[in-house]
Amino acid sequence: MSDLQKAWAKNRLGTMPVETFDEREEEEMGTVSELPEHFDDDSSSASSASSASSTGTIIPSPSQNLFARPQGVPRGRTFQPIPWTTYFERELFLHDETLPQSPTTHAYLTSPVGKGPLFVMHHGGGSSGLSFAVVGDQIRKRLPSAGVFSLDARGHGSTTIPEGQALDLSLETLADDLLTALRLTQREMKWAEPPPVILVGHSMGGAVVTELARSGRLGSALLGYAVLDVVEGSAIDALQHMHTYLSTRPTGFQTLETGIEWHTRSRTIRNSVSARTSVPSLLTLEKNAEEEGKAEGKPADARPWKWRTDLAATQPYWENWFVGLSAKFLAAKGGKLLLLAGTDRLDTELTIGQMQGKYNLQVFPEAGHFIHEDLPEKIAVSLVDFHRRNDRTALVLPPKVSDLLKQGKKV
Amino acid sequence: MFIFPQICGDIHGQFHDLMELFRVGGNPPDTNYLFMGDFVDRGFYSLESFLLLLCLKVRYPDRMTLIRGNHESRQITTVYGFYDECLRKYGSANVWRYCCDVFDYLALGAIVLGASNTLEPTNEAAPREDVEIEVCNADGDAISHFGRRGKTGGNGQGSPNGRTDQTGPPGSGASGSSGGTAGNPVGAVLCVHGGLSPLIDTVDKIRLLDRKQEVPHEGAMCDLLWSDPDEIDGWGLSPRGAGFLFGADIVKMFNHRNDLSLIARAHQLVMEGFKEMFDASIVTVWSAPNYCYRCGNVAAVLELSEDPGGQGFFARSNGDVGRSDGGVSRGVLLDSDGSSKRGPARRYRVFQAAPQDSRGMPAKKPVADYFL
Repeated sequence: MSDLQKAWAKNRLGTMPVETFDEREEEEMGTVSELPEHFDDDSSSASSASSASSTGTIIPSPSQNLFARPQGVPRGRTFQPIPWTTYFERELFLHDETLPQSPTTHAYLTSPVGKGPLFVMHHGGGSSGLSFAVVGDQIRKRLPSAGVFSLDARGHGSTTIPEGQALDLSLETLADDLLTALRLTQREMKWAEPPPVILVGHSMGGAVVTELARSGRLGSALLGYAVLDVVEGSAIDALQHMHTYLSTRPTGFQTLETGIEWHTRSRTIRNSVSARTSVPSLLTLEKNAEEEGKAEGKPADARPWKWRTDLAATQPYWENWFVGLSAKFLAAKGGKLLLLAGTDRLDTELTIGQMQGKYNLQVFPEAGHFIHEDLPEKIAVSLVDFHRRNDRTALVLPPKVSDLLKQGKKV
Repeated sequence: MFIFPQICGDIHGQFHDLMELFRVGGNPPDTNYLFMGDFVDRGFYSLESFLLLLCLKVRYPDRMTLIRGNHESRQITTVYGFYDECLRKYGSANVWRYCCDVFDYLALGAIVLGASNTLEPTNEAAPREDVEIEVCNADGDAISHFGRRGKTGGNGQGSPNGRTDQTGPPGSGASGSSGGTAGNPVGAVLCVHGGLSPLIDTVDKIRLLDRKQEVPHEGAMCDLLWSDPDEIDGWGLSPRGAGFLFGADIVKMFNHRNDLSLIARAHQLVMEGFKEMFDASIVTVWSAPNYCYRCGNVAAVLELSEDPGGQGFFARSNGDVGRSDGGVSRGVLLDSDGSSKRGPARRYRVFQAAPQDSRGMPAKKPVADYFL
């Protein structure tokens, strides 16, 4: 720049009104006005985990503080756990007395009203029934007659199996458990007949609901099934990276709050309300470790909150969950909805199926793997729409264009 | 349109395959083209493909016809790649925004008039009578022919409509002549991306739609771009989440009422490149070979040939496909027809994917690390 230019620029700048401009403030404000106030964690669109990230390179600029660590807890953000009673009417402990070997399945339920549908949720590996708490609540806001049923699978949450029994997480067992739990719930709640059911499964749960849908054991009660962010091809590709992932995540947390904080900060769950709801059910306070430590004179474990589910130990079942999933998904009867966090997750079989119009695909590039926890509102809208289209009441054809024009309506 | 186009289905940003398509079908402007939408998304050269087609349309407006597909929409392109591609190539979304404005002006359907019921010979094939369908490979050599039923039977009737002395099955009530007229070989061909809509009973209703808008979630415009034919009776809900499914009876009724001999549409991937349904009253054409660079399908374009005496003459002969039975007993009647093929003569040029270099492909995104 020549001196003349510099002088000119300086002059110009001098005449401009002086404003202190805090970029971070701006960013915070911008997102808050766009989204409801508690969904404000996803303010940085710069996540490398988001599949929208392929669209642009992030150019670091000094004002953006891209690489700076967040300093402390941002204003107005809390990691207080939210109890399940906020979202569900009751919890059930379902045990089939005739089969002593069967597990005692812990489930959350909000009953459907009248002829309303029951959304039956099955969480993914290492998660819990509360994973669907927020989205269930959002569904009921849009469809008040709907019921939500969400269980903890074996080895997850508060579901227990009889003492001494090895943990069997095979797909068939999990599908049996889900069906049994539904039948027991019907008996417990004294429903005369099973309500119309929409199965919703996330990840491993997607495989479970697809297995159950394909077996046809729900009969005519099944309206449709929705699978959240799992596709056979890409899931099997991802399995080899699972051990690396598992070894990098903390083995325990000091308090529940730090656990919630880790989930939001690592962007595993990108919505603090969801994290505050679901994370507490993933962790358990290991008193034994603490006491043993004391007895042996060692310092107490600084991180007594451990994962309830030992995911690494479930490895023998991983392939069993996902192999053949795409074919089963296309073959089963009922409406089919696939919600993904990125189109690149589709495998060849489902790409062909999609272009032949065999199922409904919706993509949410801004979400992570836990799409229903990251975007509970949008997923709820999709699920309610999905139910509306697959409702059994007779298909009503819209009026003809000529009639609409006669009524003076715009077409 | 009065001059005979090559009718093409989905392209999906596969620019090299679009070049292959032009090689197979003949270069524009020497050959006319009609593209039935879905130019963008999924492939890595959506922008190039769409802009080339658009330039051709601007340069040769009477020789190119572009109609809108369901992917020519703001909402769909943000998810399936076109938006990302524009952003990647230009660093801003403006190009995408302008393209979307153009999408709003694309037609929803097109009518091709006066197709002949005989094919002009390809480069080597001797002129053949009676050929209704011919499948060619990429070099224009005919692979297979399907004759018109009735003429090959040698009963010598040879009515202009290919009338045959068919009798309905005993007990069906069909008389000797009622089920016999074999279509309306010189009626118009309707081209639309998806299919029919329960809101639309005549072609003229399509003209009434206010099309200059983003593709809505429901309504007639949405249905034209989203619906699929299916082996059902009447209308059904589409598993896609938008549009409808429609059965043979709907297609035949619509064709009859609108003097159509054929509906050409795209929208659905067919591994063989083209698929005729419902007694050849509707055909799906797919022009993206090896879709998404991995589906392993071949592609096709549909060529109709001009009626030599016709000069775009619009035969109002009211195609009677399935008229006598109203589609009700079609299962019995038409299955007994065997390989009955009707309508204008059709030549399908089938081609494979162009050899692909990997330049320009965005690096594959890392697989998700957590997937249980």
